[in-house]
Order: sequence, then C-alpha cells, then structure tokens
Amino acid sequence: MAGPVVVGKDVWKVYGSGETQVTALRGINVTIAESEMVAVMGASGCGKTTFLNCFSGLDDVTRGEILLDGQDLHQMDDRAKSEYRARRVGFVFQAYNLLPVLTATENVEMPLLISGVAGREARERSRAMLTDLGLGERLDRKPAELSGGQQQRVSLARALVGHPAIVWADEPTGNLDEEDSHAVTQLLRQLNQRYHQTIVVVTHDPNVAASCDRTVRMRDGQFVS
Amino acid sequence: MAAANPVIGLLLLVLLVIAVVLIVLALRHRLAFRIGMRNVRRARSRTILLILGLLVATTIVSGSLVVGDTITQVEVHYTVLGVGLNDEIIGNESPSGAYTPFAYSVFTDINATHGHDPSIAGMAPEVVSRVSVFDRTSGIPQPGLYLIGVNANQSSQLGDFVADNGSVVVGPGPGAIFLDDLAASELGASAGDHVLLYGVSATPVPAVVQAVVQDNLRGAFPTGGVGNYGSVITDLATAQRLQNLSGAINVISVTNVGDQANRLALAPSVSATLNTTLATLPAARGLTVQQVLVNGLAAADSAGSSVETLFLVLGLFSIAAGAMLIVGIFVLLTEERKGEMGVLRAVGLQGRELVYSFLFEGAAYAAGAAAAGTFLGVGVGYGLTYAFSIFEKVPGLPANAFLESFTVTPESLVTAYVVGFVLTIATIVVASRRASRLNIVRAIRDIPEPPPALRTYTYLAFVGVAALLLGTLLLLRTYSGTSDESYPILGGAMMILGLALIASRFVRNRLAFSAAGAALLVWAGDGSLHTSLLGTAHGGGIFIVFTEGITMVAGALLLYAFNAPALAAGLLRAAGGRNQRAPVARVALTYPARRPARTTISLSIFALVVFTLVAIAGVGATVDASLGTTLQQQSGGYTFLAYSNTEVPDLPGLIAGNTTLAPYISTVVPFDHAGVYVNVSGYAGNPYSDDLYAAPANAPPSSNFYTTNQYTFTATENGLSGAQVFDELASMPDVAIVDQSYAAVSNNLGTGSSGAHPHVSPGGTMLLTNPATGNRTTVTVLGIMTQSLVSGVFVSPSTATALGVNETTRFLISAAAGADVTTAANLLKAAFFSLGLVVINIANLLATSIASTEGVIGLLQIFVGLGLAVGIAAMGIVALRAVVERRREIGMIRANGFTQGMVLRAFFLEYSFVTLVGIAIGTGLGLLIVWNLTQSPAATSVGVTTFTVPWLNLAIILVLAYGLSMLAVAEPSLRAARMPPAEAVRPTE
Repeated sequence: MAGPVVVGKDVWKVYGSGETQVTALRGINVTIAESEMVAVMGASGCGKTTFLNCFSGLDDVTRGEILLDGQDLHQMDDRAKSEYRARRVGFVFQAYNLLPVLTATENVEMPLLISGVAGREARERSRAMLTDLGLGERLDRKPAELSGGQQQRVSLARALVGHPAIVWADEPTGNLDEEDSHAVTQLLRQLNQRYHQTIVVVTHDPNVAASCDRTVRMRDGQFVS
Repeated sequence: MAAANPVIGLLLLVLLVIAVVLIVLALRHRLAFRIGMRNVRRARSRTILLILGLLVATTIVSGSLVVGDTITQVEVHYTVLGVGLNDEIIGNESPSGAYTPFAYSVFTDINATHGHDPSIAGMAPEVVSRVSVFDRTSGIPQPGLYLIGVNANQSSQLGDFVADNGSVVVGPGPGAIFLDDLAASELGASAGDHVLLYGVSATPVPAVVQAVVQDNLRGAFPTGGVGNYGSVITDLATAQRLQNLSGAINVISVTNVGDQANRLALAPSVSATLNTTLATLPAARGLTVQQVLVNGLAAADSAGSSVETLFLVLGLFSIAAGAMLIVGIFVLLTEERKGEMGVLRAVGLQGRELVYSFLFEGAAYAAGAAAAGTFLGVGVGYGLTYAFSIFEKVPGLPANAFLESFTVTPESLVTAYVVGFVLTIATIVVASRRASRLNIVRAIRDIPEPPPALRTYTYLAFVGVAALLLGTLLLLRTYSGTSDESYPILGGAMMILGLALIASRFVRNRLAFSAAGAALLVWAGDGSLHTSLLGTAHGGGIFIVFTEGITMVAGALLLYAFNAPALAAGLLRAAGGRNQRAPVARVALTYPARRPARTTISLSIFALVVFTLVAIAGVGATVDASLGTTLQQQSGGYTFLAYSNTEVPDLPGLIAGNTTLAPYISTVVPFDHAGVYVNVSGYAGNPYSDDLYAAPANAPPSSNFYTTNQYTFTATENGLSGAQVFDELASMPDVAIVDQSYAAVSNNLGTGSSGAHPHVSPGGTMLLTNPATGNRTTVTVLGIMTQSLVSGVFVSPSTATALGVNETTRFLISAAAGADVTTAANLLKAAFFSLGLVVINIANLLATSIASTEGVIGLLQIFVGLGLAVGIAAMGIVALRAVVERRREIGMIRANGFTQGMVLRAFFLEYSFVTLVGIAIGTGLGLLIVWNLTQSPAATSVGVTTFTVPWLNLAIILVLAYGLSMLAVAEPSLRAARMPPAEAVRPTE
C-alpha cells in the first residue's frame, strides 16, 4: 500500500462554550493512503461534514494534529493554508458551488490561476479536463445553462484539474437524481483508478460507499468502524 | 419660494388620495399588509439604511425650496427696506432712470385732493437725483451718490429716520444732511463731518453730516446693483438748490395706511385714484403713479424663483440618481426574498399580494424618508444660506443679509414632503412589479430567470413604436422656431429609443441598444449637430443641461450595459499574468460585467451626480479662464467706463489739459447719451426703455470711437466686416448697432428669460423715441455686438441729432500703455469729481462679476454633491447584499485557495470598477457638455470660449466619490473576507 496522504491524530472539534458547547469531533484518529477512495458515512449530525472541513483545512481543530503530505495543516497561517488548498486539495460539494457568472471553463480554471498557472495553460488544461469528463460541448456554458449532473461534473473537473493530493467530496450526489448520481459515482471511481487520485467522500448514499475502497462510519463525532 | 396655494392644495389632495388608496388596500389585503409591516421591522439597521438612501430626493427638493424661500425673503426684506414707505411714487421716469422735474404746485393740488383720503397716510414732495460728495473731514470724494431731498416735517405720516444706534433723528435741517450706511462707508464719514455737495449747480453746497441713518427710512429709494454708492438725504430746499430746481420737484412719495399687507392691498385703488386726479392737472402732464412696493415685491418673488429653479434643475440629476437607488434597493429586496416569496406563492398567496406587501413596506419607508428628507433639506438649506452669507458679496447688501433672512415656509415643507413621498412611492410601485412576475419553482429553488421570450420583445417593439411616434411628433413640432431646445432634443432621444426597442425584436439586443446608446451620445453630445439641424433660434435655459445630460448619460449606460463583458475581457487581458492578479481580477470584474442590469443602476447613480458636479466645475473653470477673452470682448479695448449726470462737453480736451492726468490716458471717447424708448416689431413689451449712444463722426484719433474700438459682432447685415459696420455707422443716417442682449440666441446658462428683452436681427428695424424731445426715427440694425456691458443702441451721429440727443455724459476711456490703471482711475475721479464723473474699471467690474459667479458655482457644487450620498449608499447596500448572496461562492473560492486578502481585493476591485466607470462616464460627459457650451453662440457672445478642465475640482470629486464609496463597501468586504470557508460553503444560510 502507498504512503499516507492524510494522518489525523486525536482530533477534537468543539463548537461554542458553556451550556451551548457542542463536541463535533471526539479524538478522531485516521490514516488515508495515497490513491485510496474512502467513504465516510453516518447519520445526520454525526460530524461527517465537520470531519471534512477540519481535515481539508477549511476549518480549524480544537485539539489534535492533522498531517497532509506530512505537513501539520493547522500550524499554517491563512495564507499558507490557502496556498496549500490551491495546490494540493480539491473539493466537490453537494450544491456544486460554481460561480454563476463564470463559464464552465472559467470555473475549472480558477484553482489553476490561483496556484499561479499561466492563463493559456490553465485554459488548455481546463478544456481538456472538461472534455475528458464528457463536457466538451458545454465548455462555454454558464452553470445556469447546465443540468445538475453536468454542473457536478464541472465541479469534479475543478477539483481534479490541478492534480491535487486529495479530493474531498461532501455529499456529491446529494442533489442529483438516480441516473446522474450513478454517473457521478462511476466517474469518481474511474478518476480514482485512472489518475490514482485520493478521494474522500462524505455521503449518505450506500451506492457511493459501495464503489469506494473502504467505508468508515461515524457516530457522535467518532469513527465506529 | 413658496408654491402657490392651489398647487399646495393639489399636492395635499394627491397625498390624501394615495393615503386613502393605501388604507383601502391594507384593509382588503391584510395579510399582505402584515407581511409588509413585518418586513419593515425585520432588520432595524437595514431599515435605517433604506430610509437614508430614499430621503436624498426629498432632501434636494426641500433644500432647493428653502434656498428659494430665503432668497425671496432677502429680496423682500431689502425691497421693503429700500422702498421704505414709498408705496407709490408719482413722477415721470425717463428710460435712463432719471425723474423729470415738475411744478411743486402739482404736489399742492394732489395733496389738497387726497390729503384726507382714508387710504393714504401721507404724501411728501421730493427731489431724487444724483450728487457728488466730498468729505472734507475724511478727505474722501465720492461721485454718483443718490440724492434724496425731503422735508423734515413729514415724519408723522411717513415714518422716522433711525440712526444706527436705534434712536430717532429729526431732520435734516438746512445745512445738514443724513448719510445712509453705504454712503457713510464709501465716504469714510461719521456724524459731524463737514462735506461739500456737488449737483448740477456750479456752486458746491457745504453741509454737516447730522447723522448716519439706517437704510430703512422713509426717504429711501429702490437702489442696488452696479453704481450704487449709497444715499444722501438733504432737506428739500437744499436738493432743489443743488439741482437748479427752484419751485420744482421730481417725485411725490405716497404712503398708504396700515401694515405692509394692507398697504399692498390698497396700492391698486390708490394708484387708480391718483392717476385720475393727475389726468385733470395740466401741470402733471406725463406724470404717472408707480406702485413701487408692489413691483418691488414681484421682482423679489421672481428673483427667488430663479434661484430656486437653478438649484432644483441641477438637483434633478441627484433626484434621478435617488430614483435609481430606490429601484436598485427594491430589485435587491426582491432577489433577497425570492425564496420566501416563492414559498408564499406556493402556499396560495396571489402575485399581486406580493406587490401589495412591497407597496405597504415601501409606503412606510417613503413616509419616513420623505419626513426625514424634508427636515434634512431645511438643514441643507440653512447650510447653503450660511455659505451664501460668507461667499456671496452682493453690492448694497450687508454680509449677514442671507442668514438673517433664512426662511422656511410651511408651503415649502408641504411641497417637499409630498413631492418626495410621491416620487418615492411611484418608483417603488414600478420596481416592485418585478415581484408579481415571480416563477414559483425558480424562486424556491433559486434558479436564475431564463432570458426574455420572443413575446416580451414583441411587446417592447410596440412600446418602441409608441415612443417613435411620440418622439417624431415632438421633434416635428419643435425643430424649428424659438421653443425651448429641450423639446426637439427630447423628441430625437425618444425616436432613437423607440427604434432600438423595435430593432430588438429582430436583431441582437447588443447591436440594437449599442447603436441606440451611441446615437443618443451623438444626438445630445454634438453641439454642432444641434446647430445645423435645429438652428440657433431656439431658446431655453438651464433645463437644456438636464435634458442633454440625462440623454447622454442614458446613451453611455446603454453602451456599457450591452458591452460590459467585452470591456471586462479587455481589462482581464490587461490584468493577465501568472500571479494572484488574474483570479482576483476575474472574480472582481466578471460580476459587474455579466450582471450588467444591477451594475448599471449603481453606475447610473455615479454618472448622473458626477456629470453635474463636473459640468458645474467645468463651467466655473471655463468662465474663470475666459476672463481675458471676456474682458477683450466686453471692454472693446477700453479700460474705463465713465458717466456723469450732468453734461461734460469736452472731457478729451479737459484731460489733455491736465498735465498730471494726461500721461495716464491714451483715448477718451465721448458719447452723446439719452434714455430712449425702443419699439421692435413683434416684441410684446413695447416700448422697451434703453440707452442710446452716439459718438462724434470726425473726432481726432485719440477720441474717435469708430477707429479706436475693438468691439466685435456676432452678426452683421449682409456679412459686413466690423470695420465696414463702423464706417457706415459713422457716416450713414438712420443706422444703428445694438448690444448682445438684442440677439435671439439660446442661452445654456440662463434660467430662461425669453420675452424679457426685444430681439432683432441684422437688417431689421427699430423705432426709437426720445421722450425728452418727442422726436422719433426708425433705424436699420447693421450689426449685433458681442459685448453687453454697455447695453443699448449705438446710432449714427446724424440719427442722434435727429432724435435731439446732444448731451455728452458717457465716456469710454483707455489707460495709456504701461500706465497704472488704479492710479489713472483715482486721478480721473479726483480731477472731475466736481462734474460728478463716476469711473468704472471694466476689468474690476468683470472680475467681481466672475467672482460672484464662482461663489454661486461653489455652492451649487456643494448642493449637487449631496447626490454623492446616493451613490455611496447604493454601493454600501449592493455590497451588503453581495456578501449574503455570494456566501457559498466566497466559500468556494476560499476552498480553492483564495486568501482573505484576495477576497478583500476582489471585492474592492469590483466596486472600484463600478465606481470608477461611473465617475469616468460622468466626468467625460460633464466635460463634453462644458466644451459644447464654449462653442455655443451664448457663450461666444460673452467671451466664454476658453474650454478649461478643472483639474483640482476633478481630483476632489474623484477622491470624494471614490474614497467615500470604498469606505461604504469596506465593512461588507471585510465581512466577506473573514467569512470562515467551512461555514460559507454550506448550502444553507
């Protein structure tokens, strides 16, 4: 098995204080290997999204250590963390979170431009990635002109175009119908296998989990399996 | 200036109708009413922000009205003080303003008939003329003072003289005089000073200053303007002696009974009665009764109206900007509440109920904003009045005149409130109609609206046809003739917009509306196009600036709205590069480029306000820079304008014989002068009183008008050159030239005075009548001079002889090359003081006039600058909304690697782009309209031709508009930057 991309050691996340205090993560320990595709499942409110936010660098942890590529994510300042996200992390969200005023190509270009790739190269790579994902005919369409499945594929292209160390997907099929959901799941799996892309999927969908290498389950902020 | 009461009644009726309609709707649609009111209370800070944004229009209306009230009050106050208790004056005023003497017996007869009239408090025989005074104590001479000779025993009927310390003084007795404050100031005089009085009589009369009295005295006369140096009051006998009027007077002053309102009310009947009696008295031939108080107050009202109009019209740009802000606010509110409105619709609420809920909410904002705006406008009005009192030095008015007369009439408050409320609510009704067209599914799922269907364009094409027809009709009816030029310009603009709407049904929007935008810019912005298509006969005033400005701004905004992506793409290419600039620039510029409707609203606000500010500043700078040209045109190359009320037969000879003075003077042109009546065919106000001048034909070179003057013409008969015109004027009978005020040209800076002055074209004729001799002659106008400083009709010497004009009392004088002008003026005054020669330095006169104009321009800029508050509020509101609306998008770009600083830069760059494009449009078009102005006949005629960019003003406008806008967006931008990405990316707010 390849080396670990993500290592979490006794990770805690506590929101609020006093009577309103909520402990979302309770001493999470986890290792995710390179090229691995992992599903994180659990009931609503069990801490799945908090896990994703903290381990991807979108949110801070209260206690513990998270190593991405061997670097402690939460020792970084905002600038370093942003730069790390731009170069090494991809995201896929349930609501796609595409910028509505940008075309599909422009949305996919964005992380490349942020990480300093030249405009022409960014454009070529984005178009190639979108074409690879079956959107060659929709390159210059805006999100409003695309179906939900197409928007999620643009979102996937955006997450993958920079060849990140890891892609975090938060309920990527949550807004899709069965057909699109199946297609996106297949696509995730293909990308994982073709590019050896490490992918962590937070999901309620057992079909998505079934296509992953392994599934971890959460309850009350802890991994239970 | 208070509006007329019927207008107030109508406005109140409109308010009442709206209130009743709202109450009825509220009762019938209680749920909508409840939703609307809950929305008002939903977020107090936002409600306050909304009201602040909405109140600007009302503030501007209110401020304009208060300034108008105050100016009217100043005029009324000083008219009343100036007129004193002279409700009516019996006299024979010549066209030049002098009163013709008549026998004292007329007063005796009139007094015998009307002395016990219950409407008349009293009458006083007076001599009113001009006199020169030399204060032997201070050593200061002053020619050209008003002389008022009046008996001391009239106080019981006509009121008292009041000294500066408030005490009543009796007199003046023989050998004593009173000086009013202005005269005392000019002479450096105080009570006890010994003076010499110089009138028509060859012998000066010595006197002692008994008191310095306030100018609110019964002997006061309407005074003011250039050449008013104050009044000297003597007893009647002394005045008669000074003016060689033994046994004669030239005025009878009449005072009505009661307070001012009563005296005003009695004026018509008293005048009629007195006129009847005068008609029966042979010695009273030519005498008429002037209703001095009535006429003075009417002029005061007119002056207040003019200032009010000036402020209101320039404020219209800010009012339009305020209306755009209201539209913008409600568009944003509709978008913000789209989801909840969709749910309301889904559970059964009618579309119109949503509109009503907005209407009720908007009515609450409008009521609050109109009230706040009305009272804020009073504060603005006071601020402007305060500024007036500091910066505006009006001859004859004390420095505190404006502030002491600060007035707010209830009529103005009502007008401002109703206009503000109606304007706000009308805009809200239009803006909230968007809510009724809501698609429920799209609203709930937050799906963007699809592009308009073909049916929409068909509907718009019909609107376009209507606009095209109306515009064509308006243009055809007004393109020729002398109507206000705003009408044909408006007609043309409507035609262009109509054609664009029709074309949008068949071709791409971008093509149709870009072409329309360009056409509007050319139509309103190309002054030479107006001249060639519409001619120069059109009249109009300040409203043209508004019409042209709005049309040009609309054109520029259309060009932006339909070409924004191309503009953004160009800028993005420029940003380029590998570093963080590219993604920041893309995020920043793509929103305004691809959501042009919302951006255009913000742009329009800045463009409108900055346009007005730059136009005003540009006019100020151009007027200032054109002083040299103006001086050259207005002075004709001469240094001084001099006049006397008594004949000075050989001033050139007298100056040549004065060895001290002669080296300072190079040219002295004498003119025979008289006041005449001018009749011009087609002029409703015939006869028009004006001055007539004639220079001797064969004078030596040092006093020859025809060879020494450098006056130019804006139009001549048959295209004659200036030299040819002067040749013919010197030698031919029955010809004349006239000053610029006779030209029928549009005046972009005026407030509209069509009909106040007769107009004539070269080759036209005018009938001249000398009332002193009864002689009359018809002259052909050879040319219209560029100057209007020496206003009147210049005729050939033979024509003057025919009219019986032969008194040499006016002079144009040139200082010698290199001579000190001030010294020359002082030497002239001293040498000919005893002749009552008043010497006016033309350059100083123009500089004073321009300084006063600059003062008004500065105040207008402050007033119009209030509109910037609209733009700043708009930016703040739009930015606040953007943070909420783009929460997930901000989260996503943060997840993709945007740092907090990059988000902050993206927000600032986006709003900088919007603000700066708006400023650029406003600045460019503002300068364009100033440039057009410098090319217009009206500006050319007064020498305002040196187009000047007001760099300092532009810098101040840019810094204020841009800086304050960035302050307004700072907090929302920081909030966006600091938004935790993990929270931002979540799908729920």
